[in-house]
Amino acid sequence: MKVDTDGFSFDFTDALDAFVFDEKDKTKTTFHGQPMKAVDIVAEFPDAYVFVEMKDFHDPAYYDTKDFNTEEELKAKRSGFKWLKNYLKYKYRDSYLFRHAEHKVEKPIHYICLLTFDNALNTAMCKALQKELPVGPASRRWKQELVKSCAVVNVARWNENFPKWPVSYTPAGAV
Amino acid sequence: MLEKIKFEKFTAFEKLEVKFSPGINIFVGENGTGKTHILKAAYAACDIAKSKGGFAEKINNVFYPSGKQIGRLVKRSSVSSNGILEVTRKIEDDKKITLRLSLSNHTTKPDKAKISGSPKAWTENPMEAAYIPVKDMMANAPGFRSLYEEREIHFEEIYVDIIRKVFLPLLKGPTDKPRKQLLESLQEAMDGKVVAKNEEFFLRSKHGELEFTLLAEGFRKMGLLWILIQNGTLLNGSVLFWDEPETNLNPRLMKTVVGILLELQRQGVQIFLTTHDYVILKEFDLQAKKDDKILFHSLYRTKDTGEIEVASTDDYLKLSPNAIDDTFGSIVDREIEKSMGSLGK
Repeated sequence: MKVDTDGFSFDFTDALDAFVFDEKDKTKTTFHGQPMKAVDIVAEFPDAYVFVEMKDFHDPAYYDTKDFNTEEELKAKRSGFKWLKNYLKYKYRDSYLFRHAEHKVEKPIHYICLLTFDNALNTAMCKALQKELPVGPASRRWKQELVKSCAVVNVARWNENFPKWPVSYTPAGAV
Repeated sequence: MLEKIKFEKFTAFEKLEVKFSPGINIFVGENGTGKTHILKAAYAACDIAKSKGGFAEKINNVFYPSGKQIGRLVKRSSVSSNGILEVTRKIEDDKKITLRLSLSNHTTKPDKAKISGSPKAWTENPMEAAYIPVKDMMANAPGFRSLYEEREIHFEEIYVDIIRKVFLPLLKGPTDKPRKQLLESLQEAMDGKVVAKNEEFFLRSKHGELEFTLLAEGFRKMGLLWILIQNGTLLNGSVLFWDEPETNLNPRLMKTVVGILLELQRQGVQIFLTTHDYVILKEFDLQAKKDDKILFHSLYRTKDTGEIEVASTDDYLKLSPNAIDDTFGSIVDREIEKSMGSLGK
Protein backbone atom coordinates (compact mmCIF):
# COMPACT_ATOMS: atom_id res chain seq x y z
CA MET A 1 0.00 0.00 0.00
CA LYS A 2 1.74 3.17 -1.19
CA VAL A 3 1.66 6.52 0.55
CA ASP A 4 3.40 9.63 -0.82
CA THR A 5 3.65 12.79 1.24
CA ASP A 6 6.12 15.65 1.85
CA GLY A 7 8.72 14.13 -0.46
CA PHE A 8 8.63 10.74 1.30
CA SER A 9 7.41 7.65 -0.59
CA PHE A 10 6.39 4.68 1.53
CA ASP A 11 5.22 1.25 0.52
CA PHE A 12 3.57 -0.57 3.44
CA THR A 13 3.51 -3.90 1.63
CA ASP A 14 1.72 -5.88 4.37
CA ALA A 15 -0.64 -3.14 5.63
CA LEU A 16 -4.45 -3.52 5.82
CA ASP A 17 -4.71 0.22 5.39
CA ALA A 18 -2.32 3.18 5.17
CA PHE A 19 -3.21 6.81 4.51
CA VAL A 20 -2.16 10.42 4.95
CA PHE A 21 -3.65 11.23 8.35
CA ASP A 22 -3.44 15.03 8.17
CA GLU A 23 -5.30 14.94 4.85
CA LYS A 24 -6.19 18.43 3.67
CA ASP A 25 -8.21 17.42 0.62
CA LYS A 26 -11.88 17.79 1.54
CA THR A 27 -13.01 15.41 -1.18
CA LYS A 28 -11.19 12.47 0.41
CA THR A 29 -12.83 10.20 2.96
CA THR A 30 -9.75 10.56 5.15
CA PHE A 31 -10.07 14.38 5.32
CA HIS A 32 -8.90 15.49 8.78
CA GLY A 33 -10.35 19.02 9.07
CA GLN A 34 -10.13 19.49 12.85
CA PRO A 35 -8.17 22.15 14.77
CA MET A 36 -5.90 19.45 16.16
CA LYS A 37 -2.33 18.49 15.42
CA ALA A 38 -1.99 15.38 13.29
CA VAL A 39 0.76 12.88 12.49
CA ASP A 40 1.56 12.46 8.80
CA ILE A 41 0.59 8.82 8.26
CA VAL A 42 -1.47 6.14 9.95
CA ALA A 43 -1.00 2.52 8.88
CA GLU A 44 -3.05 -0.41 10.09
CA PHE A 45 -1.84 -3.99 10.50
CA PRO A 46 -3.66 -7.08 11.82
CA ASP A 47 -2.37 -6.59 15.36
CA ALA A 48 -1.20 -2.99 15.50
CA TYR A 49 -1.46 0.57 14.28
CA VAL A 50 1.63 2.53 13.29
CA PHE A 51 1.68 6.33 13.42
CA VAL A 52 4.43 7.96 11.36
CA GLU A 53 5.67 11.52 11.59
CA MET A 54 8.38 12.79 9.22
CA LYS A 55 10.52 15.89 9.51
CA ASP A 56 13.43 17.11 7.44
CA PHE A 57 15.66 19.58 9.24
CA HIS A 58 18.05 21.74 7.37
CA ASP A 59 20.38 22.05 10.32
CA PRO A 60 20.34 19.11 12.73
CA ALA A 61 23.10 20.85 14.72
CA TYR A 62 20.47 23.29 15.93
CA TYR A 63 18.92 20.55 18.04
CA ASP A 64 22.11 18.94 19.37
CA THR A 65 22.29 19.81 23.05
CA LYS A 66 25.49 17.84 23.65
CA ASP A 67 27.53 20.44 21.81
CA PHE A 68 27.51 24.05 22.81
CA ASN A 69 29.97 26.90 23.25
CA THR A 70 28.15 29.30 25.51
CA GLU A 71 25.37 28.99 28.02
CA GLU A 72 23.17 31.08 25.71
CA GLU A 73 23.81 28.68 22.87
CA LEU A 74 22.94 25.74 25.07
CA LYS A 75 19.76 27.53 26.14
CA ALA A 76 18.81 28.19 22.54
CA LYS A 77 19.58 24.60 21.59
CA ARG A 78 17.68 23.26 24.56
CA SER A 79 14.71 25.30 23.43
CA GLY A 80 15.20 23.96 19.87
CA PHE A 81 15.40 20.39 21.13
CA LYS A 82 12.48 20.98 23.47
CA TRP A 83 10.45 22.59 20.72
CA LEU A 84 10.94 19.58 18.48
CA LYS A 85 10.23 17.13 21.28
CA ASN A 86 7.00 18.93 22.16
CA TYR A 87 6.06 19.15 18.50
CA LEU A 88 6.43 15.38 18.12
CA LYS A 89 4.76 14.69 21.45
CA TYR A 90 1.63 16.81 20.93
CA LYS A 91 1.22 15.60 17.35
CA TYR A 92 0.95 12.09 18.71
CA ARG A 93 -1.40 12.94 21.57
CA ASP A 94 -3.83 14.90 19.35
CA SER A 95 -3.77 12.13 16.78
CA TYR A 96 -4.54 9.61 19.52
CA LEU A 97 -7.53 11.70 20.64
CA PHE A 98 -8.81 11.92 17.07
CA ARG A 99 -8.48 8.16 16.65
CA HIS A 100 -10.13 7.61 20.05
CA ALA A 101 -13.14 9.54 18.79
CA GLU A 102 -13.12 7.30 15.73
CA HIS A 103 -13.05 4.20 17.96
CA LYS A 104 -9.79 3.26 16.32
CA VAL A 105 -7.48 2.74 19.28
CA GLU A 106 -8.35 -0.87 19.98
CA LYS A 107 -4.96 -2.21 18.87
CA PRO A 108 -1.56 -1.28 20.28
CA ILE A 109 -0.12 1.82 18.58
CA HIS A 110 3.54 2.24 17.66
CA TYR A 111 4.83 5.75 16.97
CA ILE A 112 7.76 6.17 14.59
CA CYS A 113 9.39 9.53 13.91
CA LEU A 114 11.44 9.71 10.75
CA LEU A 115 13.97 12.52 11.20
CA THR A 116 17.06 13.56 9.26
CA PHE A 117 19.36 13.30 12.31
CA ASP A 118 22.25 10.92 12.85
CA ASN A 119 21.61 7.88 15.05
CA ALA A 120 23.18 9.44 18.14
CA LEU A 121 20.86 12.45 18.05
CA ASN A 122 17.91 10.20 17.27
CA THR A 123 18.56 8.08 20.39
CA ALA A 124 18.58 11.25 22.51
CA MET A 125 15.24 12.37 21.01
CA CYS A 126 13.78 8.88 21.41
CA LYS A 127 14.65 8.73 25.10
CA ALA A 128 13.00 12.12 25.75
CA LEU A 129 9.86 11.17 23.81
CA GLN A 130 9.47 7.76 25.46
CA LYS A 131 9.49 9.46 28.84
CA GLU A 132 7.03 12.18 27.96
CA LEU A 133 4.49 10.60 25.63
CA PRO A 134 4.64 8.45 27.85
CA VAL A 135 5.29 4.98 26.43
CA GLY A 136 3.74 1.89 28.00
CA PRO A 137 1.54 1.45 31.08
CA ALA A 138 2.80 4.67 32.67
CA SER A 139 0.15 5.10 35.37
CA ARG A 140 -1.12 2.45 37.75
CA ARG A 141 -4.61 3.83 37.12
CA TRP A 142 -4.47 3.24 33.37
CA LYS A 143 -6.35 0.34 31.83
CA GLN A 144 -4.90 1.02 28.40
CA GLU A 145 -1.59 2.28 27.03
CA LEU A 146 -1.51 5.55 25.11
CA VAL A 147 1.35 4.28 23.00
CA LYS A 148 2.99 0.87 22.90
CA SER A 149 6.39 1.99 21.66
CA CYS A 150 8.20 4.95 20.17
CA ALA A 151 11.17 4.92 17.82
CA VAL A 152 13.12 7.77 16.22
CA VAL A 153 15.00 6.79 13.07
CA ASN A 154 16.56 8.22 9.93
CA VAL A 155 15.78 6.88 6.44
CA ALA A 156 18.70 4.41 6.46
CA ARG A 157 17.69 2.99 9.85
CA TRP A 158 14.02 2.81 8.80
CA ASN A 159 14.85 0.73 5.75
CA GLU A 160 17.16 -1.47 7.79
CA ASN A 161 14.50 -2.17 10.43
CA PHE A 162 11.34 -2.27 8.31
CA PRO A 163 12.15 -4.12 5.08
CA LYS A 164 8.42 -4.66 4.43
CA TRP A 165 7.83 -0.89 4.50
CA PRO A 166 10.51 0.58 2.20
CA VAL A 167 10.78 4.37 2.14
CA SER A 168 12.60 6.77 -0.15
CA TYR A 169 13.02 10.49 0.26
CA THR A 170 13.46 13.25 -2.28
CA PRO A 171 13.98 16.60 -0.52
CA ALA A 172 11.98 19.53 -1.87
CA GLY A 173 13.83 21.23 -4.70
CA ALA A 174 15.86 18.14 -5.59
CA VAL A 175 15.58 16.96 -9.16
CA MET B 1 52.52 19.80 4.45
CA LEU B 2 51.71 16.16 3.87
CA GLU B 3 49.80 15.46 0.68
CA LYS B 4 49.17 11.72 0.72
CA ILE B 5 50.30 8.35 1.98
CA LYS B 6 50.36 5.01 0.19
CA PHE B 7 50.75 1.52 1.55
CA GLU B 8 51.24 -1.77 -0.24
CA LYS B 9 51.46 -4.93 1.82
CA PHE B 10 52.52 -2.88 4.80
CA THR B 11 51.37 -3.78 8.36
CA ALA B 12 47.56 -4.16 8.16
CA PHE B 13 47.19 -2.79 4.65
CA GLU B 14 47.07 -4.76 1.40
CA LYS B 15 46.81 -1.61 -0.70
CA LEU B 16 45.70 1.78 0.52
CA GLU B 17 46.11 5.38 -0.52
CA VAL B 18 44.89 8.29 1.60
CA LYS B 19 44.88 11.85 0.33
CA PHE B 20 45.18 14.35 3.15
CA SER B 21 43.55 17.67 3.84
CA PRO B 22 46.06 20.48 4.39
CA GLY B 23 43.99 21.28 7.50
CA ILE B 24 42.51 18.66 9.79
CA ASN B 25 42.35 14.92 9.07
CA ILE B 26 40.13 12.83 11.32
CA PHE B 27 40.39 9.05 11.14
CA VAL B 28 37.52 6.90 12.33
CA GLY B 29 37.05 3.15 12.07
CA GLU B 30 36.72 0.07 14.19
CA ASN B 31 39.68 -1.35 16.08
CA GLY B 32 42.18 -3.04 13.79
CA THR B 33 41.53 -0.88 10.73
CA GLY B 34 44.97 0.75 10.90
CA LYS B 35 44.19 4.29 12.09
CA THR B 36 47.22 4.50 14.36
CA HIS B 37 49.45 2.90 11.70
CA ILE B 38 48.67 5.73 9.30
CA LEU B 39 49.52 8.32 11.94
CA LYS B 40 52.75 6.59 12.94
CA ALA B 41 53.96 6.16 9.36
CA ALA B 42 53.19 9.76 8.45
CA TYR B 43 54.79 10.99 11.66
CA ALA B 44 58.00 9.03 11.04
CA ALA B 45 58.30 10.69 7.62
CA CYS B 46 57.80 14.16 9.14
CA ASP B 47 60.24 13.52 11.97
CA ILE B 48 63.21 12.55 9.80
CA ALA B 49 62.80 15.70 7.73
CA LYS B 50 64.15 17.52 10.75
CA SER B 51 66.14 14.89 12.68
CA LYS B 52 67.80 13.82 9.38
CA GLY B 53 67.74 10.21 10.54
CA GLY B 54 67.04 7.24 8.32
CA PHE B 55 63.41 6.67 7.29
CA ALA B 56 63.62 2.90 7.70
CA GLU B 57 65.15 3.16 11.13
CA LYS B 58 62.59 5.70 12.28
CA ILE B 59 59.75 3.51 11.03
CA ASN B 60 61.29 0.56 12.86
CA ASN B 61 61.62 2.52 16.10
CA VAL B 62 58.12 3.98 15.88
CA PHE B 63 56.37 0.68 15.10
CA TYR B 64 58.72 -1.51 17.19
CA PRO B 65 58.13 -4.94 15.61
CA SER B 66 59.21 -7.97 17.63
CA GLY B 67 63.01 -8.23 17.87
CA LYS B 68 63.11 -4.96 15.90
CA GLN B 69 63.06 -7.03 12.70
CA ILE B 70 61.78 -4.49 10.22
CA GLY B 71 60.66 -7.23 7.79
CA ARG B 72 57.88 -8.05 10.24
CA LEU B 73 56.19 -4.82 9.12
CA VAL B 74 55.44 -6.41 5.74
CA LYS B 75 51.84 -7.63 5.73
CA ARG B 76 51.72 -11.26 6.76
CA SER B 77 51.27 -13.73 3.95
CA SER B 78 51.99 -17.38 3.29
CA VAL B 79 54.54 -16.52 0.59
CA SER B 80 57.51 -14.14 0.47
CA SER B 81 56.35 -10.63 -0.19
CA ASN B 82 57.48 -7.04 -0.51
CA GLY B 83 55.98 -4.08 1.25
CA ILE B 84 55.96 -0.42 0.30
CA LEU B 85 55.29 2.74 2.27
CA GLU B 86 55.23 6.01 0.40
CA VAL B 87 54.67 9.52 1.73
CA THR B 88 54.25 12.60 -0.46
CA ARG B 89 54.52 16.16 0.78
CA LYS B 90 54.37 19.64 -0.63
CA ILE B 91 57.33 21.93 -0.13
CA GLU B 92 57.89 25.50 -1.32
CA ASP B 93 56.28 26.65 -4.58
CA ASP B 94 53.85 23.73 -4.40
CA LYS B 95 56.60 21.34 -5.40
CA LYS B 96 55.80 17.76 -4.45
CA ILE B 97 58.40 15.31 -3.17
CA THR B 98 57.99 11.66 -2.29
CA LEU B 99 59.78 9.30 0.03
CA ARG B 100 59.42 5.57 -0.48
CA LEU B 101 60.43 2.72 1.78
CA SER B 102 60.52 -0.76 0.21
CA LEU B 103 61.30 -3.90 2.10
CA SER B 104 60.65 -7.62 2.06
CA ASN B 105 59.50 -9.84 4.87
CA HIS B 106 63.06 -11.23 4.92
CA THR B 107 64.61 -7.81 5.58
CA THR B 108 65.97 -7.99 9.11
CA LYS B 109 67.72 -4.66 9.55
CA PRO B 110 66.57 -1.15 8.59
CA ASP B 111 69.78 -0.47 6.61
CA LYS B 112 68.84 -3.32 4.26
CA ALA B 113 65.53 -1.67 3.38
CA LYS B 114 65.45 0.48 0.26
CA ILE B 115 64.75 4.21 0.35
CA SER B 116 63.89 5.94 -2.91
CA GLY B 117 62.23 9.08 -4.21
CA SER B 118 63.69 12.35 -2.92
CA PRO B 119 65.38 11.55 0.41
CA LYS B 120 67.83 14.42 -0.05
CA ALA B 121 65.21 17.09 -0.75
CA TRP B 122 63.18 15.59 2.09
CA THR B 123 65.77 16.41 4.75
CA GLU B 124 66.78 19.67 3.10
CA ASN B 125 63.27 20.90 3.86
CA PRO B 126 62.83 20.28 7.56
CA MET B 127 59.43 20.34 9.23
CA GLU B 128 58.31 20.30 12.83
CA ALA B 129 56.05 17.47 13.98
CA ALA B 130 54.67 16.20 17.29
CA TYR B 131 52.91 12.92 18.04
CA ILE B 132 50.69 12.73 21.11
CA PRO B 133 50.19 9.05 21.97
CA VAL B 134 47.13 7.61 23.71
CA LYS B 135 49.03 7.07 26.96
CA ASP B 136 50.14 10.15 28.85
CA MET B 137 53.92 10.46 29.22
CA MET B 138 54.19 13.79 31.00
CA ALA B 139 53.96 12.27 34.48
CA ASN B 140 56.65 9.72 33.57
CA ALA B 141 59.01 12.24 32.04
CA PRO B 142 61.64 12.39 34.82
CA GLY B 143 64.50 10.12 33.84
CA PHE B 144 62.61 8.51 30.96
CA ARG B 145 64.65 10.22 28.26
CA SER B 146 68.01 9.19 29.70
CA LEU B 147 66.75 5.67 30.38
CA TYR B 148 65.65 5.37 26.76
CA GLU B 149 69.02 6.66 25.45
CA GLU B 150 71.07 4.34 27.66
CA ARG B 151 69.10 1.10 27.75
CA GLU B 152 67.12 -0.96 25.29
CA ILE B 153 63.63 -0.53 26.71
CA HIS B 154 60.54 -1.83 25.03
CA PHE B 155 58.85 1.43 24.11
CA GLU B 156 57.83 2.75 20.71
CA GLU B 157 59.89 5.84 19.99
CA ILE B 158 56.82 8.08 19.85
CA TYR B 159 56.79 8.00 23.66
CA VAL B 160 60.30 9.35 24.06
CA ASP B 161 59.88 11.74 21.12
CA ILE B 162 57.00 13.55 22.79
CA ILE B 163 59.03 13.93 25.97
CA ARG B 164 61.91 15.34 23.91
CA LYS B 165 59.47 17.87 22.43
CA VAL B 166 58.18 19.09 25.77
CA PHE B 167 61.68 19.83 26.96
CA LEU B 168 62.46 22.03 23.98
CA PRO B 169 63.43 25.52 25.10
CA LEU B 170 60.99 28.39 24.73
CA LEU B 171 60.81 30.38 21.52
CA LYS B 172 62.72 33.62 21.61
CA GLY B 173 60.77 36.87 21.55
CA PRO B 174 57.27 37.70 22.74
CA THR B 175 54.40 35.27 22.25
CA ASP B 176 52.27 36.40 19.32
CA LYS B 177 48.62 37.23 19.88
CA PRO B 178 46.91 34.17 18.36
CA ARG B 179 49.22 31.83 20.30
CA LYS B 180 48.57 33.79 23.47
CA GLN B 181 44.83 33.39 23.01
CA LEU B 182 45.18 29.64 22.60
CA LEU B 183 47.31 29.39 25.72
CA GLU B 184 44.79 31.44 27.64
CA SER B 185 41.83 29.28 26.67
CA LEU B 186 43.78 26.16 27.72
CA GLN B 187 44.74 27.84 31.00
CA GLU B 188 41.11 28.62 31.62
CA ALA B 189 40.11 24.99 31.01
CA MET B 190 42.95 23.61 33.19
CA ASP B 191 42.66 26.39 35.74
CA GLY B 192 46.40 26.97 35.66
CA LYS B 193 49.58 26.85 33.61
CA VAL B 194 52.34 24.28 33.30
CA VAL B 195 55.80 24.69 34.80
CA ALA B 196 58.75 22.31 34.63
CA LYS B 197 61.34 21.77 37.36
CA ASN B 198 64.13 19.25 36.93
CA GLU B 199 62.23 17.31 34.26
CA GLU B 200 59.15 17.17 36.49
CA PHE B 201 55.94 18.94 35.51
CA PHE B 202 53.56 20.86 37.73
CA LEU B 203 50.28 22.64 37.17
CA ARG B 204 50.56 26.04 38.75
CA SER B 205 47.24 27.55 39.82
CA LYS B 206 46.16 30.01 42.45
CA HIS B 207 45.97 27.08 44.88
CA GLY B 208 49.65 26.24 44.43
CA GLU B 209 51.64 23.74 42.35
CA LEU B 210 50.37 20.24 41.72
CA GLU B 211 52.71 17.59 40.32
CA PHE B 212 51.51 15.84 37.15
CA THR B 213 51.47 12.44 38.85
CA LEU B 214 48.65 13.76 41.06
CA LEU B 215 46.82 15.48 38.22
CA ALA B 216 43.85 14.03 36.32
CA GLU B 217 45.06 12.47 33.05
CA GLY B 218 42.77 14.70 31.01
CA PHE B 219 44.47 17.80 32.37
CA ARG B 220 47.90 16.26 31.67
CA LYS B 221 46.92 16.05 28.00
CA MET B 222 45.78 19.64 27.95
CA GLY B 223 49.01 20.57 29.71
CA LEU B 224 50.96 18.82 26.99
CA LEU B 225 49.11 20.77 24.31
CA TRP B 226 49.80 23.96 26.25
CA ILE B 227 53.55 23.24 26.27
CA LEU B 228 53.67 22.37 22.57
CA ILE B 229 51.97 25.66 21.73
CA GLN B 230 54.06 27.64 24.19
CA ASN B 231 57.43 26.31 23.07
CA GLY B 232 56.63 26.92 19.42
CA THR B 233 56.47 23.27 18.30
CA LEU B 234 53.04 23.93 16.83
CA LEU B 235 53.57 26.84 14.46
CA ASN B 236 52.64 27.48 10.85
CA GLY B 237 53.93 24.60 8.72
CA SER B 238 54.15 22.08 11.55
CA VAL B 239 52.21 18.86 11.85
CA LEU B 240 50.37 17.54 14.89
CA PHE B 241 49.42 13.87 15.27
CA TRP B 242 47.06 13.00 18.11
CA ASP B 243 45.95 9.44 18.75
CA GLU B 244 42.51 9.36 20.43
CA PRO B 245 42.40 12.81 22.03
CA GLU B 246 39.25 11.77 23.89
CA THR B 247 41.12 9.32 26.14
CA ASN B 248 40.73 10.45 29.75
CA LEU B 249 39.28 13.74 28.65
CA ASN B 250 35.95 14.81 30.11
CA PRO B 251 33.50 15.39 27.21
CA ARG B 252 33.00 18.96 28.43
CA LEU B 253 36.70 19.71 27.83
CA MET B 254 36.36 18.39 24.29
CA LYS B 255 34.74 21.64 23.25
CA THR B 256 37.87 23.57 24.25
CA VAL B 257 40.24 21.04 22.69
CA VAL B 258 38.40 20.99 19.36
CA GLY B 259 38.25 24.80 19.36
CA ILE B 260 42.01 24.92 19.85
CA LEU B 261 42.69 22.36 17.13
CA LEU B 262 40.55 24.33 14.69
CA GLU B 263 42.42 27.51 15.59
CA LEU B 264 45.82 25.81 15.19
CA GLN B 265 44.67 24.68 11.74
CA ARG B 266 43.72 28.26 10.88
CA GLN B 267 47.27 29.23 11.86
CA GLY B 268 48.69 26.72 9.38
CA VAL B 269 49.23 23.58 11.47
CA GLN B 270 48.29 20.36 9.68
CA ILE B 271 46.52 18.00 12.07
CA PHE B 272 45.91 14.25 12.13
CA LEU B 273 43.58 12.66 14.69
CA THR B 274 42.11 9.26 15.33
CA THR B 275 38.92 8.98 17.33
CA HIS B 276 36.22 6.64 18.57
CA ASP B 277 34.26 9.48 20.06
CA TYR B 278 30.95 10.93 18.90
CA VAL B 279 31.38 14.20 20.76
CA ILE B 280 34.69 14.95 19.02
CA LEU B 281 33.20 14.32 15.59
CA LYS B 282 30.17 16.46 16.36
CA GLU B 283 32.30 19.24 17.87
CA PHE B 284 34.24 19.50 14.61
CA ASP B 285 31.01 19.42 12.67
CA LEU B 286 29.49 22.16 14.80
CA GLN B 287 32.47 24.43 15.41
CA ALA B 288 33.97 24.37 11.92
CA LYS B 289 33.67 27.55 9.91
CA LYS B 290 33.29 27.83 6.17
CA ASP B 291 37.00 28.10 5.32
CA ASP B 292 38.17 25.36 7.69
CA LYS B 293 39.61 22.39 5.88
CA ILE B 294 38.41 19.23 7.60
CA LEU B 295 38.47 15.80 6.05
CA PHE B 296 36.88 12.79 7.73
CA HIS B 297 38.54 9.50 6.75
CA SER B 298 36.58 6.33 7.46
CA LEU B 299 38.67 3.15 7.49
CA TYR B 300 36.79 -0.09 7.08
CA ARG B 301 37.25 -3.68 5.99
CA THR B 302 35.40 -4.62 2.80
CA LYS B 303 32.86 -7.40 3.13
CA ASP B 304 34.19 -9.45 0.21
CA THR B 305 37.98 -9.37 0.66
CA GLY B 306 38.28 -8.29 4.30
CA GLU B 307 40.97 -5.79 3.29
CA ILE B 308 41.11 -2.25 4.64
CA GLU B 309 39.80 0.60 2.50
CA VAL B 310 39.18 4.27 3.09
CA ALA B 311 36.30 6.62 2.32
CA SER B 312 37.03 10.32 2.81
CA THR B 313 34.55 13.19 2.95
CA ASP B 314 34.47 16.80 4.11
CA ASP B 315 30.81 16.51 5.12
CA TYR B 316 30.27 14.86 8.50
CA LEU B 317 26.77 13.70 7.59
CA LYS B 318 28.11 11.93 4.50
CA LEU B 319 30.73 10.02 6.48
CA SER B 320 30.07 6.39 5.68
CA PRO B 321 30.65 3.87 7.08
CA ASN B 322 30.68 5.74 10.37
CA ALA B 323 31.71 3.18 13.00
CA ILE B 324 30.82 5.57 15.81
CA ASP B 325 27.30 6.44 14.68
CA ASP B 326 26.71 2.84 13.57
CA THR B 327 27.08 1.86 17.23
CA PHE B 328 24.21 4.19 18.07
CA GLY B 329 22.38 2.72 15.07
CA SER B 330 22.70 -0.76 16.51
CA ILE B 331 21.19 0.52 19.78
CA VAL B 332 18.26 1.95 17.77
CA ASP B 333 17.84 -1.43 16.02
CA ARG B 334 17.84 -3.41 19.24
CA GLU B 335 15.35 -1.06 20.84
CA ILE B 336 12.98 -1.39 17.86
CA GLU B 337 13.37 -5.15 17.86
CA LYS B 338 12.53 -5.23 21.56
CA SER B 339 9.48 -2.96 21.34
CA MET B 340 8.04 -3.79 17.90
CA GLY B 341 9.00 -7.42 17.43
CA SER B 342 8.45 -8.61 13.87
CA LEU B 343 6.33 -5.64 12.71
CA GLY B 344 7.52 -4.45 9.29
CA LYS B 345 10.03 -7.30 8.97
